[in-house]
Amino acid sequence: MRRLGLITAVLFGGLLAYATPDFPDWGDPRSPASTHVSPYYIQNSLADTAVPNIVTAVLADYRGYDTMFETTVIFAAGLACLFLLRNFGPRAVESRLYRHRPTGITLRIEQGGDLPENSAEFERIDSQWVPYDLIIRCAGRLVLPFIQLFALYVVAHGHHSPGGGFQGGVIFGAALIFYALSHDLRSTLGHLPEARSLIVAAVGVLIYVGTGVLCLLLGGAFLDYAALAGLLGVDPVMARSHGILMVEIGVALAVTTVMVSLYYYLATAGRLDEGL
Amino acid sequence: MMAVLTTLLLTGGLIFFLGGAVGILRFPDFYARLHPAGKLDTMGLLLTLGAMALYTAAGGRLGDWLTAIKILLIVALVFITSPTATHAIVDAGVRAGLSPWMREDEGTEHDLAA
Repeated sequence: MRRLGLITAVLFGGLLAYATPDFPDWGDPRSPASTHVSPYYIQNSLADTAVPNIVTAVLADYRGYDTMFETTVIFAAGLACLFLLRNFGPRAVESRLYRHRPTGITLRIEQGGDLPENSAEFERIDSQWVPYDLIIRCAGRLVLPFIQLFALYVVAHGHHSPGGGFQGGVIFGAALIFYALSHDLRSTLGHLPEARSLIVAAVGVLIYVGTGVLCLLLGGAFLDYAALAGLLGVDPVMARSHGILMVEIGVALAVTTVMVSLYYYLATAGRLDEGL
Repeated sequence: MMAVLTTLLLTGGLIFFLGGAVGILRFPDFYARLHPAGKLDTMGLLLTLGAMALYTAAGGRLGDWLTAIKILLIVALVFITSPTATHAIVDAGVRAGLSPWMREDEGTEHDLAA
C-alpha cells in the first residue's frame, strides 16, 4: 500500500514537473492571464462600476458568480463542522474540576478519582468556570470596540482600499473570539447563541443570492447590479457600486458567524460548555 | 535633520529588538524568557513605528499627517495588547503549575537552559 502511494506521488510529481516548462515566463505580458480580460478590467473598471479598487470590482462584480459560491463554500464548511464536531449526547466521562485556593491551580478529577471534598483549600467549580483576570478583561474591553469599528470600516471601505467582506468579516469574527478569550464563552454565547450564529450565516448567503435574484426580477441578468438603478434611484454605474456593497455585507455576515461557530465547536470539543 | 532623528529612532528600536531576541534565547526559564519578549519588543516597536510616523509626517501634506496618526494608533494598540498578551501567557503558566527557576535549582530538571 505504501509502495503504491509512493508510485502515485512520483508519477504525479513527474507529470507536474513535465508540464512546468509549458508555463509562461514570470510577468510575461503575452501570457494568457494578461491578454484576455485583464487589460479590459484595468482600463474600464472605474468607468463601468465607479469603484477605484480594481480587485473589489473584479471580485464582486465581474466574477460575482464565483464569489457567491465562495461564500456558499464557507457556509457549507460551517455546516460540516456542525455535523462533524457538535456533540449532542451526554458527556462520556463525568469529571469534576477543583481550584486550589492558595495557588489558583485547576485540577480535573476523572470519575473514580479521590475527590478533595473535605479540604478547605479546594473549591469545587462548575464546567463553565474560568479564571477571573482583571487585566485581560480590562484590556479586552478597551480594545474590542475599536477592533469592531475597524472591521466595519474594512467592509465599507473595500471600494477604495484593500478590504471587503471577507477581510472585514474575519476581523469581526476575530473580535468576537477575542471577547470569548478575554471574558468567557458563556457571555459570548449570550450575545451570539449557536443557533443564531448559524442562522445569520445563512442570512448572509441569502443576502448575496437575494441581490442576484433581485437583479433578475428587475429585468437584468443574475447579479447584474446595473438593474438595481431604478430601485436605488441612482444611475446604472453607481448602482453597480452599491450592489457590490450589498453583496459584501452578505459575505461579511457569513464569514463572521462561521468563524465564531468554528471557534465554539473547536474550543469546547463540540459541547459548548467549557469556557476557555 | 528629520533623517538623522529617524535613523536614531530606528537604530534604537533595532537595539531593543536585538536585546529581546538575545534575551529569549539566553534566559533560563519560561517566565524569564517572557520578560524580554514582552518588554523589549514593545519598546522596539514603539521606537521603529515612531520613526516611521516621523518620516511620513515630514512630507507635510494632510495625507502624510493622517498616515502618521494611523501609525501612532497602531502604536497605542500594541502598547495595550502586547503586555496583556505576555501577562496572559505568564498567568497560564502559573495556573498550569510551572514553578519559576531559582538559583538553587541549577543543574536539576527545572533548569530549562541546559
